[in-house]
Amino acid sequence: MAEIREAIEVAVKALSGKLEIAEAKAKAAPLSRGELNELKVICIGQNQSHLSFMLQQLRIASKSEKPALGALINEAKKSAERRISALEGQMARYEAERAEGARAVDVTLPPRTPVVGRLHPLTVVRRRIEASFRSLGYEVADGPEVESDWYNFESLNFPPDHPARDAVDTFFVKGGGTGRDRLLLRTHTSPVQMRTMLSKKPPIRTLCPGRVFRKDDIDPRHLPVFNQVEGLAVDEGITFADLRGTLAAFARTFFGDRAKVRFGPTFFPFVEPGVDVAVSCVLCNQKGCRVCSGSGWIEIMGAGMVHPKVLANGGIDSERYTGFAFGMGVDRIALLLHGLPDLRLLLENDVRFLDRVWSS
Amino acid sequence: MKMSLSWLASYLPGPAPDPAKTAERLTSVGFIVEGQEGEGPATVYDVEVTANRPDGMNHRGLAREAAVALGREFRDPGAGAVAESGRPAAELAAVFIEAGDLCTRYSARVIEGIRMGPACAAVRARLESIGSNPISAPVDATNHVLWDIGQPLHAFDLDKLATGKDGRPTIVVRLARPGEKLVTLDEVERTLTEDQLVIADAEKPVALAGVMGGLHSAISDSTTRILLESAHFHPGAVRRTAKANGMHTDASHRFERGTDPLTTLDGLDRAARMIVADCGGALRPGVIDVISVVARPFAAATLSLRIARLNRLLGMEVAPERCLSILKALGFAPERKSGVIGVIEVTVPSWRIDVESEIDLVEEIIRCVGYDQLPETMPRVFVPGESAASSILEDQVRDQLVALGLTEAQNYSFVSRDENAPFVPAGPGEPVEIENPLGEPFSTLRATPVVGLLRSAQHNVRRSRVDLGLFEVARSFGWKEGKVAERRSAAFLLAGKRQSHWSEAARQADFFDGTGVVAGLFAGLGAPAPRFKAVSFPFLAEGRSARIMAAGGVLAGWVGVLAAPLAEGWDLVDPVVGDVDLNAIPKPAAVTTVEIPSRFPGSAVDLTVTHRKEIPWRLLEETVRRTGPVELLAVDANNRYAGPGVAPGFVKTNLSVRFGSPERSLSREEVNGWRDAAARALLALPETRVDGIE
Repeated sequence: MAEIREAIEVAVKALSGKLEIAEAKAKAAPLSRGELNELKVICIGQNQSHLSFMLQQLRIASKSEKPALGALINEAKKSAERRISALEGQMARYEAERAEGARAVDVTLPPRTPVVGRLHPLTVVRRRIEASFRSLGYEVADGPEVESDWYNFESLNFPPDHPARDAVDTFFVKGGGTGRDRLLLRTHTSPVQMRTMLSKKPPIRTLCPGRVFRKDDIDPRHLPVFNQVEGLAVDEGITFADLRGTLAAFARTFFGDRAKVRFGPTFFPFVEPGVDVAVSCVLCNQKGCRVCSGSGWIEIMGAGMVHPKVLANGGIDSERYTGFAFGMGVDRIALLLHGLPDLRLLLENDVRFLDRVWSS
Repeated sequence: MKMSLSWLASYLPGPAPDPAKTAERLTSVGFIVEGQEGEGPATVYDVEVTANRPDGMNHRGLAREAAVALGREFRDPGAGAVAESGRPAAELAAVFIEAGDLCTRYSARVIEGIRMGPACAAVRARLESIGSNPISAPVDATNHVLWDIGQPLHAFDLDKLATGKDGRPTIVVRLARPGEKLVTLDEVERTLTEDQLVIADAEKPVALAGVMGGLHSAISDSTTRILLESAHFHPGAVRRTAKANGMHTDASHRFERGTDPLTTLDGLDRAARMIVADCGGALRPGVIDVISVVARPFAAATLSLRIARLNRLLGMEVAPERCLSILKALGFAPERKSGVIGVIEVTVPSWRIDVESEIDLVEEIIRCVGYDQLPETMPRVFVPGESAASSILEDQVRDQLVALGLTEAQNYSFVSRDENAPFVPAGPGEPVEIENPLGEPFSTLRATPVVGLLRSAQHNVRRSRVDLGLFEVARSFGWKEGKVAERRSAAFLLAGKRQSHWSEAARQADFFDGTGVVAGLFAGLGAPAPRFKAVSFPFLAEGRSARIMAAGGVLAGWVGVLAAPLAEGWDLVDPVVGDVDLNAIPKPAAVTTVEIPSRFPGSAVDLTVTHRKEIPWRLLEETVRRTGPVELLAVDANNRYAGPGVAPGFVKTNLSVRFGSPERSLSREEVNGWRDAAARALLALPETRVDGIE
């Protein structure tokens, strides 16, 4: 007789297992009407279902066992019916939702986009430059925009009444004193280099980004306010070749692996030797294009070995230490990177322009 | 600067140089050929000569560089012999240098009996090729010498110079006397000041030294006797005189940058020969050559070049023989120092006034070796320091404001005085004005970047972009205690709608969008929430303007709706503007302990309070907080209502109070007790009712 009880208990488990499988499936997607009917037939149908099998077994059970087995079967039946009904309910709600369509939206309507802010392209370009040099161990320094004549000119080997000053037309502050203390708007960020030398001992690796001012009339190629990033490295044994290597490394990280740099001699009072630095035109791979005026090279910065007089003014022994400095215009590089025709676009703040995506 | 290839070639014996190659090589040694006209021998270059190389601003000097760059011979044929006759020049004129510190040398020659006429065709052609108009043989001769060897000359009509006590026409090099007047060759009358160097005769100024001659003493068609001036002036003196008179001439350009003190005589001879050839006449024997007693006599500088230092500085090896040959070709006199290995003694030629120290010799060598020969190496690695906190903060602020949906702008640092004036009370000090601005619109350093943002907003509104959220992180300026103070701040402007969607009515940006930007910025930087305190600024709308107070009551800027009259001027309606002083934002400590959120959910209760409009939210909030136990976490405003059902002058505020404990669940009874206590405290405020509480 124990065989009958065992058979019924196996059937109860099988029934429950069958339902579990269906319920698991329904978690991913509601069952179809067909699937549900099939499930119903197999579980609690009149013939050849788990339930009908149990009832068959009950019939052949002994009288004394019938009440207990009957209760067991009844409970299994109720549980199965409840679970099937839950699945049916889920299916019904799903069908109703689909049939109703009341909450459907036109998905092609414009989205409720949060207002998206953007960085100014000059900030994006400056940060890219900074990132290149930070990876080479440079730290970013900062200094005043209203400077004295000494920091902006004299300490950097621009003597008073020297024609080298002609190249940098300067805005002066009204009532800003005279001589070396005369206040002016810095014409380059080099005064920050001087302040760094005076406040730090070598080794020095400093980057000085910032706003500078020159009395240029506003036109597509000139603005009286623009942005520079200058760099300074002072240490024992720093060589001109190190400058070339450093700028070549920068060119590769900034303009791509194929970029090369070229030095050409020029004159800046605070460096000797002084060079104009050109980078190979990455737009045309040096085949010659509009941007490089067909030359295959684009001038992007000035550089050189820090003049011994400038090191001395910065309180650094020029026999023991050597250094190099370089400087570039962020605005011009932005122009180059984005193929912009006119610097003025950068300070108009036309949102149609600013809302463009500036790669970073 | 225009330079003729055939003129250069006159100093380069051998076959005619190739125009393209010469241009390329000159550029490579630092004389950048920026443009080129003509072909073959008729080629004329446009050469950029840097301020430190006045010796390259003439054909002989540039030819010397070209010879080195091309690896060719350089040869100067010299002035050639000139026949002299008649009375010695010294009997015909006298020269005195009074300002000995500003004029080191004044050399003069006299030619008599000339017949004015044009220069020969060859000279005229040369001058025309570089864009200089031929005038007359004597003038063209002086111009030719300037462009040939770089010595500026001037030709006076000897008969126009006033005579001194001994009866000789007299030249005096001196400073102008205050108020003295001179009509220069350009027919402009100039009133001179006592810091300007002039050439005078016995009575009056006859030329601005090194800049331009006077009209009265200039040679004319009737001139028969000429005094030729060839001098060496102090660069600063010429620069001051030229600048003071707003003048810039070929002569001043060279004197300002420095001329060769040993070339005055050569210049005189070259010009005299050309004048006599074209105009006849007789060159009188001798040169009146006065050398200042004050000025240091010219002595050639001698510098030591240490080969080891050269190699260490460059990061590459250059053989001593190579150094010797480069320096020799450039006109230096280098010699190995006897007894010392690896040192070259170098005598600097008189025309290379830019070469003052060893480092200048290093540059001479590397530019001739070629910069393309430099290896690419990297400096040694070391542990870098920390970047400036200010620049790190500025970038964090930019990122946070972008996250708040604002777009970064950048504007000029200067604005017009009128645009700036309204904001001065909130700026860092008294307005800072530019002495030499580009014009009135750029005359004043801004008291707040808001001025620039208003300009940007106007630009956009005029282009039908009216919904704006802009910010700028920049500096503002003001005179404070005798110094120019620079304040770093984040300014912003909100105008039009903040967000609009077809599904709902759009809302115009208002005061609370402004305080929201400030609060969001503080939150993003990890600073305690700022408070806002009503303030009255003439440039902000009364009642919709506040000071920003950082923790500890530190003033951190202002925010508000721009006053209507100002806004109108910028084509804006109720823009919200603000300026946050970055230095006043509290900096989070490097190490902070963070409170872990409680495991218990806590609970919240609502209170609806009807009170007079004049009672600020801050008072309601603080009243509730004062009654609260340690379990009181936050007091928030849910809703404000004024209108039908609420008496005029009153407003209904629904506030919620949140309680919680890190240690336990709160019972309904204790929460209700706290709510009642808060309600009773609110009831104690004048004319205040709390719904459901009697």
